Amino acid sequence: MTTEQESLAPPSPFHGNVRPILNEVMHAIDRLLETDEPTTIDLAGLPFGPGELEHLEAALGTGELSAKLDALGTSRIRETAYPGVWWLEHRNAFDEVVGRYLEITRTPEILSSQDADIIAGRARLEDQFE
Amino acid sequence: MDLLEFAKGPALQVAAYILVAGSIWRLIGILLLKEKPDYSEPRQSAGLLAALKVIYTRSFTAAPFKAATLYPKMLAYVMHIGLFATVFLFVPHIMFFEGFLGIEWPGLPNNIIYLLGVAAVVASFALLVRRLTSPVLKLISNFDDYFSWFVTVLPLITGLMIPVRMGLRYETILAIHILSVALLMIWLPFGKLGHTFLVFVTRGTTGMVFERRGAKT
Amino acid sequence: MKRTPTVGEVLRAKGVSRRGFLKYCATTASILALPPSMIPRIAEAIENARRPSVIWLSFQECTGCTESLTRSASPTVEGLIFDTISLDYHHTLQAAAGDQAEAARHAAMVENDGGYLVLVDGSIPTGNPGFSTIAGISNVDMLKETVAGAAAVVAIGSCAAFGGIPGANPNPTGAVSVMDLVTDKPVINVPGCPPIPTVMTAVLAHFLTFGAIPDLDKHGRPMTFFGTTIHDRCYRRPFYEQGKFANTFDDEGAKAGWCLYKLGCKGPTTYNACATAKWNSGTSFPIEAGHPCLGCSEPNFWDAGGFYEPLSTGNFDSGEKLAGAAVAGVALGAVAAAAGRRRQAKFTKEG
Repeated sequence: MTTEQESLAPPSPFHGNVRPILNEVMHAIDRLLETDEPTTIDLAGLPFGPGELEHLEAALGTGELSAKLDALGTSRIRETAYPGVWWLEHRNAFDEVVGRYLEITRTPEILSSQDADIIAGRARLEDQFE
Repeated sequence: MDLLEFAKGPALQVAAYILVAGSIWRLIGILLLKEKPDYSEPRQSAGLLAALKVIYTRSFTAAPFKAATLYPKMLAYVMHIGLFATVFLFVPHIMFFEGFLGIEWPGLPNNIIYLLGVAAVVASFALLVRRLTSPVLKLISNFDDYFSWFVTVLPLITGLMIPVRMGLRYETILAIHILSVALLMIWLPFGKLGHTFLVFVTRGTTGMVFERRGAKT
Repeated sequence: MKRTPTVGEVLRAKGVSRRGFLKYCATTASILALPPSMIPRIAEAIENARRPSVIWLSFQECTGCTESLTRSASPTVEGLIFDTISLDYHHTLQAAAGDQAEAARHAAMVENDGGYLVLVDGSIPTGNPGFSTIAGISNVDMLKETVAGAAAVVAIGSCAAFGGIPGANPNPTGAVSVMDLVTDKPVINVPGCPPIPTVMTAVLAHFLTFGAIPDLDKHGRPMTFFGTTIHDRCYRRPFYEQGKFANTFDDEGAKAGWCLYKLGCKGPTTYNACATAKWNSGTSFPIEAGHPCLGCSEPNFWDAGGFYEPLSTGNFDSGEKLAGAAVAGVALGAVAAAAGRRRQAKFTKEG
């Protein structure tokens, strides 16, 4: 690595904005266990310095389950190394991130099949018999 | 013009004129007074050194009074050091001075300034309580004492409110803070707060007179 | 008046599944800066919302606001919103010109009387009406005519919201803001030079979703985006509290990404969403790029002191007046001393 690259590299990803979020996640887990109340944290509304979002993602790690959704662009829904803590990343048709969320829940709602889609699907299935 | 522009502009400007004119007025007015004729033989020649010596030594209590004045002295030290640090070592303030002096100096981290500021406010209130509860102090206190206390503590409190915010918008509370400083600047030369600069004149004079008479300083 | 389809119908016609719709609602909540718990309500409202007609008027402006909106790098979310509004007049973007363009504007006004939105970028000259005209119509006349049947007016950018650069000292054209001229309709200010694209679309999305204008601050700005300062949401804020500042643009502090307060950052007095919404598809915002905030979303930011003057600098107009005050002090002191000497003389004589 050249010295120029070194000086251009972000000096340190730690501006202290990651710890409070991890703390909030921990409290959200407590709420989920005690009262079954899920929590969604919109990461777009929180301040992040260069590298801090990656630091948060690394701190949460990767768990057992991950899913890909194809609707209005790709979305990734992935359980972190901490069960019950889900990392959701919505992308648009141009593959740009349009939303990032932490959901502290048993199953993110968006994974469930929706009634409107089930009804429309059943109608399509019925068409097969004609 | 909004409140902040008014505070940073005309209010601060007029306050600065009054502070400068008033301070020089009082200093010149005192320094040009005729010296009282002293017909006694001088014990020793009283020079500037004697003045400087007393300016320094009077910062500490003479031994016989130490025990009796420990509590108020301690509070006064906390208050004065806190005030000095918040005014001159808070980085945004240093930027303010740099704006017209053209020089800057190192400051302290904000958290330390907040701590010193709170200590100064607490000490100020403790001193006020003492003034109001001691019969002697109460008797010799006049409007000047209370008003001087008020205009000194007000900028400290409004300044400490800026990080806390208390539901007010930053620019509003900042404007109130600057206006409270303007009030302090306007009052400073005329009341007992004149000791900010006159303390050196009075101590120096005392030092020279005592030296001339051969008194222990 | 023809029946306009609901947003739900528009999306379903495009083959968007319910899952996709929920995703759309989640991202809408995100750009509206609403808590995720609001998503079900947003879903219900958007499902039944109808496309509002929008007329965009450009006056004394640089087209930077339109550039910001159309070059925003996440076109799909915004695109969806624009699919769900009907942009009936925008003289920079539309293909029609001259009489046809003006005819389109009139048609939209008649068809949606009382229900359309007027978006304005640029300030309006009140001096010579010839300073700025469109199709031979002065800006003042066009604004008044178009606003008459509008549901609300959105002032896009600092020029339309506060007068901006055309209105800066010495203001040669007598430029004024939209709210200076429009007093009988709700005016939403979306200032910024330019405004953040998602904030512009979010205001439209809010109107679309709830059929009402959002909560506004004292400068007419939506509280959701202009409710907190840049300073309060800045990732460099911890450095401010620690007293770590960049002193120049190329010192160690600047390289380490320390606080830019000393370099004139207006973050503490600037209300905007840059620190979290960020620019260029979420890449960064000015402070993250190492430049202090100019305060472009605040009224009269152009005339509010130097961009590189620290915020706490006082506005002293000259040192000469201060020197004058010192001279006055000397004179007053001399008079006081003379009076004192007379008193002293009297005292010593009597004594």
